Amino acid sequence: MTLLQALIIGLLGWMSSIYSPVLVGGLGGWYTLGRPLVSGMVIGLILGDVKTGIILGAAIQSLYIGLVTPGGSMPSDVNFAAWIGIPLALVAGAGTEYALAISVPLSLLGVAAVYTTVAINLYFVHRQDALIDAGKLDKAINIPVVGQITNFVIRFFPIFLINYFGADFATKMINIMPEWLTNILQMFAPMLPLIGFTLLLKMIVKKKFDLIYFVFGFFLVAVMNLDMISIVILGALLAYVLYKANNNKEVSL
Amino acid sequence: MAEEKNKLSKKVIKKAYWDWMFFNLSVQNFERMEGPGIIRMLGQVKDELYPNDKKAQQEMLQRHTIFFNTEPYLGCIVPGIVLGMEAEKASGGDVDEEFINSIKTALMGPFAGIGDSLLPGTLIPILLSIGMGLCKNGEIIGPLFYVIAFLGIMFPLTWFLFSYGAKAGANAAQTVLESGIKDKVTNAAEIVGLVTVGAITASYASVKVGLVYSSGEMTVNVGEILEGLFPKLPVLIMAFITYHLMVNKKWSVGKMMLLFLIISIVGYFTKILIL
Repeated sequence: MTLLQALIIGLLGWMSSIYSPVLVGGLGGWYTLGRPLVSGMVIGLILGDVKTGIILGAAIQSLYIGLVTPGGSMPSDVNFAAWIGIPLALVAGAGTEYALAISVPLSLLGVAAVYTTVAINLYFVHRQDALIDAGKLDKAINIPVVGQITNFVIRFFPIFLINYFGADFATKMINIMPEWLTNILQMFAPMLPLIGFTLLLKMIVKKKFDLIYFVFGFFLVAVMNLDMISIVILGALLAYVLYKANNNKEVSL
Repeated sequence: MAEEKNKLSKKVIKKAYWDWMFFNLSVQNFERMEGPGIIRMLGQVKDELYPNDKKAQQEMLQRHTIFFNTEPYLGCIVPGIVLGMEAEKASGGDVDEEFINSIKTALMGPFAGIGDSLLPGTLIPILLSIGMGLCKNGEIIGPLFYVIAFLGIMFPLTWFLFSYGAKAGANAAQTVLESGIKDKVTNAAEIVGLVTVGAITASYASVKVGLVYSSGEMTVNVGEILEGLFPKLPVLIMAFITYHLMVNKKWSVGKMMLLFLIISIVGYFTKILIL
């Protein structure tokens, strides 16, 4: 990885972290460029292999698809997993199983980064209070701009440095891995998305019966081999029919 | 209150909207959460609300140096309402200082819940699932679909919610919370969501059983029989085991990963699992 590539990845990684304002807050950042599916495409573009970038991104995305961060608590962090995991796997020529496997420790590192950021930012909150009390209103209003420095330092430098100095190391590690270990990883990694999907189901499923829709979707791919667009249309039709049925029931009561 | 005296112009709403969207989480912290974001948003329009009245501007910012936390995007109706109330107060309306903060505090919780469950909990996973389903072999249409669909929905929607909140004030929240719109939208979205999640589980997760049972002349390939009966059945079974352990038994992510690792190691050396 060249210095320039690592720099750009570091900058974009910071821009798409959860507290970064630059891309219209979370709208263009955390929830768009910050989704591994999108990060993968952009990283692929920077490193010259869009297709592999997307495949790696989609794999990591599957692990984090149900990520919700209620009240600022961070169950797992997708930022380092995507912006360090995808580039390293890509330059090492590694498969999705490696990307998924390294995303796990990276995610823990990312959680530590989040808690460090929100702790340091307390300083800026009190600075803002003091400025308002002193009547320096314009300076107080600028605190959310100035205070972004915490998040910038904590996101940009790890992503940039690990990518720049870690690329060779990652390649070497992957080349010396024994075959049995690689094989176990290849069995382990494709099970991991089940955790991401379960976290999502936990949120959506209100009563156990709802799992039948999940099985229906699973069946449409596993047995019927349908493509995604058809599945969404079928799902929407099903939702509409059930909605109508429910309304009629209410009327007849 | 006379119309011409109302300080809530479209320009003011726009300015506040963009500032909220950019900076809501910029200095996220343990103590006030998104509080500094509210101050920034109101501070950006302070000269429009209280022209040449620095004392009033200062008082307005001072009363917002408190905790605030909601889901920033679908919940942006709350800062919208805050702006609406502040503008009414600035226009000479009879709005009590404590009223503004009690409304703000009362609304942030419900909208955090609605926002979290509808946005990262439903809309985003559905759009991502569709995108992921479109790029199984690295096709660029997958991520592009997500970007266009997500931003195409969110920019108009957040602008609508924010400006509606600003114009309708505290009544806006009542309407949204009581109309039952949320339940109708959620129910429909949940069904679509569950179907798509089921679909990507089948295409992204994989567990292959290679168990071969042999006794004398007869060999039975359990894995192949399973595949013929219901392709990917082991994945579905594994999905239910994961769901049971994590939801009913409250297993943590780490514990679940450890179990997967053990299954992979044992599966590899006993040859029960294959690649």
